[in-house]
Amino acid sequence: MKVSNATYAALGMFFGFALSRSGVTEYDMIHGMFTGRNLSVVYIMGFAIVVAIVGMQLLRLAGNRTIHGVEIKVHQKPLRWGNVVGGLIFGTGWALSGACPGTVIGQVGEGKVLALFTVAGLLFGTYLYCLLVEKWPGLSA
Amino acid sequence: MSELARLIFIQTWPWWAGGLAIGLMVPGMYLLTNTALGVSTGYGNVLFCVMPSTTLSWLRKTFKDRWGWRIFFLGGMLAGSFISARLAGLPLATLSMGALTSSLSTWPAALVLFTGGTLLGLGARIAGGCTSGHSIHGIANLHVSSLITTAAFFAAGVLVTKFLVITLLKGAGA
Repeated sequence: MKVSNATYAALGMFFGFALSRSGVTEYDMIHGMFTGRNLSVVYIMGFAIVVAIVGMQLLRLAGNRTIHGVEIKVHQKPLRWGNVVGGLIFGTGWALSGACPGTVIGQVGEGKVLALFTVAGLLFGTYLYCLLVEKWPGLSA
Repeated sequence: MSELARLIFIQTWPWWAGGLAIGLMVPGMYLLTNTALGVSTGYGNVLFCVMPSTTLSWLRKTFKDRWGWRIFFLGGMLAGSFISARLAGLPLATLSMGALTSSLSTWPAALVLFTGGTLLGLGARIAGGCTSGHSIHGIANLHVSSLITTAAFFAAGVLVTKFLVITLLKGAGA
């Protein structure tokens, strides 16, 4: 069953709207989380995880199928050194930019012009990964 | 405008409302599309979209379609946040970026953001996902790799803020 691109666009709209409305697109919210002065983002993420756990369990209880009747498959990402190494690199970028790959799109949509530099960096960083993985295929997931 | 509409469209949501909406994305994506919530791989799809004849093996192996679903998902996010900010009456374009721009002038701030973005892009690919794919989707599905990755996100974030970002922002009372 091919899912329409409009469905993905609608889901993206909901997600972008939610990120923007909850305030996680604010630089100071992310910075405040890392200094410990404002833990709102931790509460938001924590509650999102709880909601997602409950939602996934409800889906399983309801027969574990999509609305098209296809069986839902969750692929587990294997544990490897890249999780720690990449995670530390990512966390450094998170603290510097005050954004993550999702919230920065929200920043751009809201009109925070400087977020375009973060997006440019994200594209450049992804490109760097492509170059590195040519040399060291072991880097790949 | 009714009080409810004002709460939804104008004021910043309380933490539980944000968490509820963001959390619903995980089962919502599976229910409607059978895909895992994730954003960072979309940046690879954007690269593949602008250079479809690339020889870079990761792009060739990961993306079959120039206009893959991730492009539409990212585009939707852009539109959703645009609508949110217009309803809330935020300025259409601003050079402000919170404490960063109250401490640094525009170009140094842009350099910090570009550097941070580069590390986000590189780190997410090496770790196999970002805040949405690992920290929300992965932990909610009880993946050990996502828990470890998220611990690393926060460990680096707290340490880099304590020893670097606070120094960068010093002088403006941030």
